Amino acid sequence: MLDLSQMYSEYFLEKSLLSVMPEAVLIIFAFIILLLGLFKSIKNGENSYYIALIGIVFSFLYLFILSNHTIHGFYGSIIFDKFDVFFFTVILLSGFLTVLLSKNYFDTRNVLIPEYYSLVLFSISAMMLLVSSVNLIMIFLSIEFMSIAAYILTGYLKGESRSTEGAMKYFILGTFASAFFLFGSVFIYAATGHLNLYKIHNFIFRQSFKVHYVYNSHTFLAIGLVLLLVGLAFKMSLFPFHAWTPDSYDGAPTPVTNLMATGIKVAAFGIFIRVFTSIYSFNILNFYNILWILAVLTMTFGNFAALLQTDLKRLIAYSSIAQAGYILMGIIAGGYYGISGTLFYLLAYIFMTAGAFGIVIMFENLKLASVDIKSYYGFGFKYPLTAAAFSFFLLSLAGIPVTSGFMGKFFVFSAAIKSGYYWLVFIAILNSAFAAYYYIKIIVKMYMVDNQSNNNSIADVINNSNVTVNNGQMEIIKENHVTSALVIVIILCLIFTLLLGVFPQPFINFAAKSVTSLWNI
Amino acid sequence: MSIFLKYILSIIIFFPLLSALMLVFINKKAEGLLRNLATILSLAEFVISIFLFIYFKSNTYQFQFVERFSWIREFGATYFLGIDGVSLFLILLTTLMTFIALLSSYKYIKEHVKEFVILMLVLETFMLGAFASLDILLFYLFWEFMLIPMYYIIGIWGTGRKVYSAVKFILYTLAGSLIMLFGLITIFILHYNQTGNFTFNLLKLYHTNIPLTLQIILFIAIFLGFAVKIPLFPFHTWLPDAHTEAPTAGSVILASVLLKFGIYGFFRFAIPLMPEASILLTPVILVLAVISIIYGALVSIVQKDLKRLVAFSSVSHMGFIVLGLFAMTAVSVDGSVLQMINHGISTGALFLFVGMLYERSHTRLIADFGGLAKKAPILAALFMIAVLSSVGLPGLNGFVGEFLILVGSFKQYTIFTIFATSGIIFTAVYLLWMFQRVMFQNITNKNNENFKDMTLREIMTVLPLILLMFFIGLYPDVLLSRINPTVVHFVNIIEHNKYAYNLIKAKMGLFNA
Repeated sequence: MLDLSQMYSEYFLEKSLLSVMPEAVLIIFAFIILLLGLFKSIKNGENSYYIALIGIVFSFLYLFILSNHTIHGFYGSIIFDKFDVFFFTVILLSGFLTVLLSKNYFDTRNVLIPEYYSLVLFSISAMMLLVSSVNLIMIFLSIEFMSIAAYILTGYLKGESRSTEGAMKYFILGTFASAFFLFGSVFIYAATGHLNLYKIHNFIFRQSFKVHYVYNSHTFLAIGLVLLLVGLAFKMSLFPFHAWTPDSYDGAPTPVTNLMATGIKVAAFGIFIRVFTSIYSFNILNFYNILWILAVLTMTFGNFAALLQTDLKRLIAYSSIAQAGYILMGIIAGGYYGISGTLFYLLAYIFMTAGAFGIVIMFENLKLASVDIKSYYGFGFKYPLTAAAFSFFLLSLAGIPVTSGFMGKFFVFSAAIKSGYYWLVFIAILNSAFAAYYYIKIIVKMYMVDNQSNNNSIADVINNSNVTVNNGQMEIIKENHVTSALVIVIILCLIFTLLLGVFPQPFINFAAKSVTSLWNI
Repeated sequence: MSIFLKYILSIIIFFPLLSALMLVFINKKAEGLLRNLATILSLAEFVISIFLFIYFKSNTYQFQFVERFSWIREFGATYFLGIDGVSLFLILLTTLMTFIALLSSYKYIKEHVKEFVILMLVLETFMLGAFASLDILLFYLFWEFMLIPMYYIIGIWGTGRKVYSAVKFILYTLAGSLIMLFGLITIFILHYNQTGNFTFNLLKLYHTNIPLTLQIILFIAIFLGFAVKIPLFPFHTWLPDAHTEAPTAGSVILASVLLKFGIYGFFRFAIPLMPEASILLTPVILVLAVISIIYGALVSIVQKDLKRLVAFSSVSHMGFIVLGLFAMTAVSVDGSVLQMINHGISTGALFLFVGMLYERSHTRLIADFGGLAKKAPILAALFMIAVLSSVGLPGLNGFVGEFLILVGSFKQYTIFTIFATSGIIFTAVYLLWMFQRVMFQNITNKNNENFKDMTLREIMTVLPLILLMFFIGLYPDVLLSRINPTVVHFVNIIEHNKYAYNLIKAKMGLFNA
């Protein structure tokens, strides 16, 4: 039996490969899909969908096999540890849900199917690489790898101007952000002479004991850290760097929006936690205060903007910006408790967001997604199960108890209070109360508004789009706007949203265990 | 039997939820079956809860029927249930009122029956859970989710401006609850900082040592959450809307049970957790309580809508209960707890009668009624009893509670009590005047010519409440003997803290302040 954690394993390529095994599996499967696309008979149909699912399952399998090991690889630029195990799980789950959501989405749209799935696998593997990188260059490469896949996916609906517009905005602004990140890395390298996060950490740590440290390097370091933060904040879509988010979330195909809102955001938070805990925790500039302000601005802006939306997809896009603000609170709170809170929130967040996007896809199949929310009335009783599930996800996003959203919020709020951020929590709580309004507004429209007032009701839209409406109990499964894959996604998300809200203990354990492998918190 | 008694609280809490899950699988079209089944199940629930009453030991203030399981180790949160004399009767009230509310809505709820009965049963689970939990996180879970079914009930089956009322209801209470959550988390963290243990166990958190200034801030935060629920004077504006537009069953549950959570919260959480701050802020709260009493009563007098009148009378009555609780003498707190039950019974009954009037004539305006006593003598007689019970006629339940509250508070806060007493006179004015305009005089509205008397089902609905009014009015000792040990213990804690508080004041030279 190989001792995987033996010293210097990172200098041997075959052992290094072990450290990227889950990613490598995905990449292999992505290539398989691409190659099989050459054959006409395989290209059409659902083969690539199933291969993508199998790829993700295999990746899970390797993750499970390796989960008890800590492996360094590629000359110390990659690390696979407990922290990665958690994030890989979350990212793979997000990818799994995305693939499920995509199943029938492109049926009516003229796009290349196998390439789509291979791109999704590529971007998932890039997210995983990103989380496990500990070298600034490696981080940059992974970000680029992830982003390029995401740019293409955003503009995947050929000929739809909104999709192209979203991809264009995302691409141009994303390039800027990457440039910021690279520039920041350069400054940090200039100040410390290292690119490896451990070594940077050790360098600053040693510097901080010296009586007369070099002023120059200090300034460089501060500039570098600020630029690095800008680059990462863009991917996390924090407030002043969020401008691309609504348009590209809105324009992208909805499964891709789900991937961007869950997977990419989770990966960005993952790497941010790694970078932040290792090199920001020194009091070079007061980054805790900067993040404090960013968090407050992000959640306030996200909620205010979401309040003004009448389009469901945009509303959820803005609300996911607001959620990033809450997630950031855990990082600001810091420490074992705060970081595990963040991780738990991220896990809760992917399920409620994926569930909500599943419903959005259902609405799109009914030609309702870009319809004003005001015309949703009658939906609640026409589709009781769908509407109930949707209400549950909305309540979870609003942070009402019994849902995972409450437990996540409770966790990060208590962590922030523990670290003494009373005002931050107070503002966040006011924000939650405020945010509840627009989530509740949708529920109101689905259940409580009478049909007489407006002619353009959902019932009419349904009649126009020739969807047969059965009055039976389990109608949603029979109808053609609901595919079995969508039902699986929604049921999975419902189960986990409830489970994380009522019996969070095993998930908290999982999150807490992975935090212990961060060596500096 | 012993296992049944050991887990009786869990059984009582989750029985309605399981019933609701069962009803999910019944066809939507079978409305009669759904109604009957839900009513029978809620009756069964009430019968189970009577076991609590039978096996309750009345000679101790300790929590009984305690259940404790590990829940979230990371936060030290446990599944910790237990009841004392106060929560015992609130639980009984909840199970009884849910049964009555379901029974009362056979005619009123015509659409979406399935959703209605399921929501009522889910609501019952969460109300019971909130009354029985001794773990703050568990309590908060039950407490806040409770809003959601109620919100649906008002918003879907309500009348008039139902959406406005439902949204106002949920936003007010949600904002209050969230600010309360802030306070609760702070206490939780404070306890951790002092002991190094995360715990949500209420009994342990009672021993948290909170500095006075922080106590005041936290008390205000938690006060907001509970005061909105009660509702105390400046926070009451959601109540008339919610009450007026809700369906009868919703109003009954809202008045009988949901409003009690505010008082219960003060009794169980706010005052024992922050005793010094509550002693310090007592005058402020008493002023608000007295304003609530008088304002609620005066506004009731001028109401044209029957349901709005009863809703504002709730504000007034809840003011009495707050007065009794914050006077913090054994007698007045006894009275408050008893009056919580009484208010649930009398106001619930009043809403039921208003609902019956509305079902018959589809109007709630007092001016549209008149002379109904001749057409419906049984209705008039039973309605009269409910009105007199609310007014506080000796021999009926309302008198006992109000008398205890006023006697208990008089010694401590004479001026406040005198003002509060005037509220009783106003209560008599608006309720009796309303009754006269509705039931006596001549029939002015032609629609009321064919006014029908109560059916057997309707009599069955209100009969338990009428009987309880007499029973509590004539022999309140059955309740008081079980409430009293808990209340005495509560008052002892406060007295002990008063002593400590006076020491602090003396030390800080605040005696003249």
